[in-house]
Amino acid sequence: MAYPYRHDRETRMLSECFGDPAARTVAGWKAVGGYEGIARALEIGREATIEDVKASGLRGRGGAGFPTGLKWSFMPKNSARPHYLLCNADESEPGTFKDREIIRWTPHQLIEGCLVGSYAIGASHCYIYLRGEFFESTNVLARAVEEAYADGLVGKDILGSGVDIDITLHVGAGAYICGEETGLMNSLEGRRGEPRIKPPFPAAVGAFGMPSTINNVETLAAAAHIARHGGEWYRQWGTEKSPGTKLFCVSGHVNKPGNYEFPLGFPLMELIEDVCGGIRDGNALKAVIPGGSSVPIMSAEDCHGCTLCYEGVEAAGSMLGCASVIVMDETSDIVKQVRRMAHFYAHESCGQCTPCREGTTWATRILQRIEDGRGTEDDLNTLIEISEQMTGTTICVLSDSLAMPIISSIEKFREDYLALIRRGERVGAA
Amino acid sequence: MSEVRFRNPGWAGNTGEFDLSEADVRGTEYVGERVLDGGHPSVSPSLPYMFVEKDPDAPLFEGPYRERFDKIRSRYPTARAALLPALNLAQELRGHISPETMDEVAGLLGLSDAYVRGVATFYTMYNKRPVGRFLIQVCTNISCNLCGADEVLEAFLEHTGTELGQTSSDGNFTVVEAECLAACGFPTCVQINSRYFEDVSADDVPAVLDRLKREVNRGF
Repeated sequence: MAYPYRHDRETRMLSECFGDPAARTVAGWKAVGGYEGIARALEIGREATIEDVKASGLRGRGGAGFPTGLKWSFMPKNSARPHYLLCNADESEPGTFKDREIIRWTPHQLIEGCLVGSYAIGASHCYIYLRGEFFESTNVLARAVEEAYADGLVGKDILGSGVDIDITLHVGAGAYICGEETGLMNSLEGRRGEPRIKPPFPAAVGAFGMPSTINNVETLAAAAHIARHGGEWYRQWGTEKSPGTKLFCVSGHVNKPGNYEFPLGFPLMELIEDVCGGIRDGNALKAVIPGGSSVPIMSAEDCHGCTLCYEGVEAAGSMLGCASVIVMDETSDIVKQVRRMAHFYAHESCGQCTPCREGTTWATRILQRIEDGRGTEDDLNTLIEISEQMTGTTICVLSDSLAMPIISSIEKFREDYLALIRRGERVGAA
Repeated sequence: MSEVRFRNPGWAGNTGEFDLSEADVRGTEYVGERVLDGGHPSVSPSLPYMFVEKDPDAPLFEGPYRERFDKIRSRYPTARAALLPALNLAQELRGHISPETMDEVAGLLGLSDAYVRGVATFYTMYNKRPVGRFLIQVCTNISCNLCGADEVLEAFLEHTGTELGQTSSDGNFTVVEAECLAACGFPTCVQINSRYFEDVSADDVPAVLDRLKREVNRGF
């Protein structure tokens, strides 16, 4: 059997070569059409490449879903200052495990995407910021970059075009907040990874004070394919507002977890029940977090009829984020999991903004108290009050990211909280 | 001695269910021999390893490490930007970053001691204290937690005879809790030095530890 679970219904574009060690090399990647994207981009020029990506409707895969072509078009034209492309490979949103797969199975897919992006925005240097824990996948990517340099694909005069594009791999040292774009820039510059106030936006003042664009690994990988085939081609998949395919990272209580690639707009329940082989032990579904831990929790009821695209998940009361679908069955202890998330955000808060620094810690303590059976009903009001004060009051959205699961879990699973408070025992705990 | 059963090539090896080898999954053949001098300058800032044996008194930086340090500096428009890679390099050699190491790195890059301490203490991966030959980091975040990560962490503590964050008396193991390691489809994920072990259950723990003991001489 090939590399982890595949499904006949998948549309494998980004993930076509996952599990095929031969695709790691330049030769292997070229054999499946690799590096034709950058060749075509160099042929049609910068503006046309940006127009292609705009036409494709590709939206940022890091979580926010901002249109990529539009982002690229914000970069100044005809500026003498150096421009930088920063590739965000600091994959650390709980529930997300797609970028690592792209990096370790198809490193040249990412390198090609970085070349296309750099060329489009006029950057002569691209920094790929990898999370420090990715030792093994970073080594694979490093070998691929060395190979690409030796092959004239990266460096001076790439593919004989007269265009120079350097790539440098930079590794972080363990901080969730460095996945936030301005936090990443500070970290790259050798500072504490504290997010910056915007404006100025990175396209005006970014890394090293220069115009910069930050894109997620999956976004750049998709851009390589769009550069090869054109923008309209990409629109054969997905919805009007969410074109293209997406890697769905499914984890938690399903029989076959893993990365599955589908056109955006795929039905959530079919993903869980058909593609992932249903819930373990034939259990009932209790809750789903559809976009990584930073988005509102959905109850089983919310999941029926929900389609996995930006607008579809929003209509169901949550957010697609980076499409990291965390599935919880009926035995799940919601309060414990929310407490664990709160602990994570408290640990990862950079500490610049008071509502976040204090709020994440207070929330963790209150949730722990409730979990331990020492909570009161009034604690729930306090949690909601703190969460509201953590929303929209800080430089970045880390504190909002905790507020959303807290508020949604109290709304949808109030009984779980109350049971602990009233009886000092958990609902559904194994 | 029972072998670890590998159910999923997302983690590490001899699986009955999938036809990939551990080398296929980890990409070790493609990567080849590691080089201490950092290889091509484009990748020099990205290659820190965690060695089994550390040398807290190793000089900063000599021989191939000096080459790597110089290559790193050549890739950034400012000296400050080389700080994280330089600290990574120091930790690769010494195993942890003591306040004295921070000061030395500050001197090498022309930064103030206080500044470097501020940065170094911001990041979790810089060990502020010495760790064992194997630093075992068990993810207990949501996806792993739903699938029994707390029990896996307990099992590691029990079988190494340590408390959370303490090093075993033979100097082999330090067990800590980690935040999400981006391997959520293969719970529980455990990072041991520079390798991921995925799909680890509490029952697998003794076999994982046996494997590590056999590999002490492997180097990393």
